[in-house]
Amino acid sequence: MTIGQTVTRKEDHRLLTGRGRFVSDLQLSPMRHVAFTRSIVAHAHLATVDTSEALALPGVRAVFTGADIPLALRAQSALPGYVETDQPALAVGKVRFVGEALAAVIADNRYLAEDGAELVDVDYSPLQPLVDATGVVIDPVHDDAPDNILIRRIFENGDVDTALEQSAVVVRRDLTTNRHAGNPMECRATVALWEDHRNLTVWSGTQVPHLVRNMLAEQLDLPEGNIRVIAPDVGGGFGVKAVLYPEDLAICAMARTMPGTALKWVEDRVEHLHAASHARDHRYEVEAGFADDGELLALRVDATCNVGAYSVYPWTVGIEPLMAGGLFTGPYRLEHYRCLVRGVTTNTSPSGPYRGVARPATVFAMEAVLDSGARALGISGADIRRRNLIAPDDIPYRMPTRLVDDSGHYLECFEKALDLVEHNGLDYDGLRAEQQKRVAHGGNPIGIGFAVYNELTGLGRAASAGPRMPFRTGHEACTVRINPEGSVTVLSGVTSQGQGLETTLAQVVAGTIGVGFDDVQVRYGDTNESLWGFGAFSSRQAVIAGGAALQSAEAVLEKALALAAELYEANADDLTLTNGNIMVAGSPQPIGTLADVARVAYLESNRLPAGFEPGLESTRFYDPVMGAFAAGAQVVVIEIERSTGELKILDLVCVEDSGRILNPQIVEGQVAGSLAQGIGGALYEHLVYDDDGNLKTGTLLDYLMPTSAETPEFTLGHLTHHADNPLGVRGVGEGGTLGPAATLAGAVADAVGLEIDELPITPARIWDGLAQQGGAGT
Amino acid sequence: MRVEFTVNGSAESVEVEPRVTLADALREELGLTGTHLGCEHGVCGACTVLVDEQPVRSCLMLAVQARNASLQTIEGLERENGSLHPLQQAFSDCHGLQCGFCTPGMVMTAVHLLATNPDPTRDEIRAEMSANICRCTGYNSIVDSVEQAATARGALARDD
Ligand code: FES
Ligand code: FES
Repeated sequence: MTIGQTVTRKEDHRLLTGRGRFVSDLQLSPMRHVAFTRSIVAHAHLATVDTSEALALPGVRAVFTGADIPLALRAQSALPGYVETDQPALAVGKVRFVGEALAAVIADNRYLAEDGAELVDVDYSPLQPLVDATGVVIDPVHDDAPDNILIRRIFENGDVDTALEQSAVVVRRDLTTNRHAGNPMECRATVALWEDHRNLTVWSGTQVPHLVRNMLAEQLDLPEGNIRVIAPDVGGGFGVKAVLYPEDLAICAMARTMPGTALKWVEDRVEHLHAASHARDHRYEVEAGFADDGELLALRVDATCNVGAYSVYPWTVGIEPLMAGGLFTGPYRLEHYRCLVRGVTTNTSPSGPYRGVARPATVFAMEAVLDSGARALGISGADIRRRNLIAPDDIPYRMPTRLVDDSGHYLECFEKALDLVEHNGLDYDGLRAEQQKRVAHGGNPIGIGFAVYNELTGLGRAASAGPRMPFRTGHEACTVRINPEGSVTVLSGVTSQGQGLETTLAQVVAGTIGVGFDDVQVRYGDTNESLWGFGAFSSRQAVIAGGAALQSAEAVLEKALALAAELYEANADDLTLTNGNIMVAGSPQPIGTLADVARVAYLESNRLPAGFEPGLESTRFYDPVMGAFAAGAQVVVIEIERSTGELKILDLVCVEDSGRILNPQIVEGQVAGSLAQGIGGALYEHLVYDDDGNLKTGTLLDYLMPTSAETPEFTLGHLTHHADNPLGVRGVGEGGTLGPAATLAGAVADAVGLEIDELPITPARIWDGLAQQGGAGT
Repeated sequence: MRVEFTVNGSAESVEVEPRVTLADALREELGLTGTHLGCEHGVCGACTVLVDEQPVRSCLMLAVQARNASLQTIEGLERENGSLHPLQQAFSDCHGLQCGFCTPGMVMTAVHLLATNPDPTRDEIRAEMSANICRCTGYNSIVDSVEQAATARGALARDD
């Protein structure tokens, strides 16, 4: 049994020896290279786009503008209050953010393509740009939305007004979270090759190849079978690559004009920061009412998400606002809830999915009001959480947004996290004593912050209904094939951007069938190989694709054993497979091997029992229908350097309920990586636009990502309450990102009494706050 | 322009325009695509190779500047018998890579670290490896990897 063990990842050897196959590594012949001319103005009518100088450059083969490619993406949702808008493949008539592609140059190499892109002469007639979602609209971004609001929805339960009136205390926080982004180390890349006018192969670093095929087929008016989408090795995704971008569409359309010639586009980091999807630019106004004993009685929330210039395809601008409103209350019991969410379009890069979608922001907001409530009531931050967390006895718990929580293990996570806190030999109580000592005797203040959260993972068809898009993402398919010599090939609809699916699916299938891990080969990311997969998002792959792999493996095992029973004249119920050997109950000696049976299935049909279909293969779809909530808690201990405002993390504990763990090392890696991204978002990362809509953080020199020097050691703990799905797993891909903004802000307030209302928590922000208190530099 | 250098011990000669970066020459001219480009402006370290044993951001160096130099890239680390370099092995053992995009640069930076400081502390590893950005791992497993490789190499040296 390899399920549940750490094994050497199948992907490691090629990635460690320089033999990974990323899209940017692809060289085909003939191949030409694409560079985009991007808008340098945030909001303008395009008067003229003159390509003549670019076309005259030797080595430039063609130049396309928006007028040449009459295609547009239109993200759809049936939700009332959603305004549909178009995103053209290349801007036509108007540009809506700095970095928007408006022309594309095709040349013999990337250097020449970039030279050509610079020579495209654009005449802009500027409109009034708006980058702040709460600003006054002068020139709307889209004509169909004069107020710039592309989605508006109210989540409501109970009677909030009365409950607030009856509360012992009401606290109010106005919070702003910082626009930041997934920023995978591999930027976007696409290669498109048309065999003829009707057959297309696309290599893309996408997280969702089957969806991309589906969307391209519609856009290009082709049967799906004429399009093959291949996502080879991909250098991180985090949601950014779960979007179909206008550049992808433009490349496919342009390549169609030159069948037989591959077009390649490799995005650079400056383009990526300007034009790949952003996230988390939100404002929350929250009022929370509490009873004397700390019980949370009511929440009134007004949330504004800056969704950027376009509705990301296919997820729509609803992705962040709907998640924010739907999961704001997290793991806390609450009846009276009213949340108005709006998604406001601005002249900034579109916001889209990014690991944790909206919840790093909502957890920050929710934990902030709990901390304010605790302070107002004079109870501890730990106790106010204990008082309000959904408990196992409450399960299934119907949240005020009607989502049903199946977890309830929040308190257990939280207490375990508190137990694990340790710094310099001091445990939680010891650190509290040390904190008091420092208050009394001076020294840099220390603070402790908390966050408890739930992550809705592995969404089935019912759980993914919310956004009312024209498709439901609940299922995955998996084919398991036993080959004629007894090895196993798995064809899965998953994709991997580092999560190790090649390894975990092999573990699931090897363990289920009873063959060695090395005898299983997993192939994924190619629409011509696997039947169907929605791909990587919403922490769904281990749950759903894992479930499909398990059920498919079970089905093919049953078939193999049925054949073995016939061949060896045994009762199928007495047979098992171990390490490729067929064992019969009660005997230590194998009676045959899977290889023998497989050989008969494929090559010796003369030995097949009557009516037995040749071959050993099974394809199964799995859909969990609901989702699996994963509980998580984080506790952070920090020290603040009074003279500089610098914040140092002394300990960061994260405890998550991962359900059944398929591979401990991979699970820990997911949690650790998402914690680091959470820390980045909380302390460093910030996409800043000036009022004219210029991105001021357009390089990695200005957009600060944490390195090994800024990232602390983590203390990780796990609960393993099996979820209600065939493998018992819960998703672990995103939870880590949910806590750090909340815990770190809470810890600053705990240390120095400074309420953090705006992210990121920079030393300057802390220092300014201390200066206002009269305490800086002391 | 014709530029000659050695890469992983073999003599190479490429014809490149003066503006072509070393990274592009390695990747496009020599097909050594293990060297990755994460930012192309000298910050992320994904493109790190060793030039005369010094770590260099090959996105910032022109191929012509490497004339007659001795270059080492990720492709040269594996032993002839197919076994992994202790750092490669340690990255695999300690899960020091997820997507593997930053990994070649990380490993080359670590090769230089262990060549100049065979027995680094965790803090020293953190400081040196902070030249490279990884978006996947959260770094602790990378620090573990370098630490394990240092220990393994120490043990090897003692065995000799
Ligand atoms: S690609 Fe050279 S430092 Fe980022
Ligand atoms: S392993 Fe993905 S960036 Fe480091």
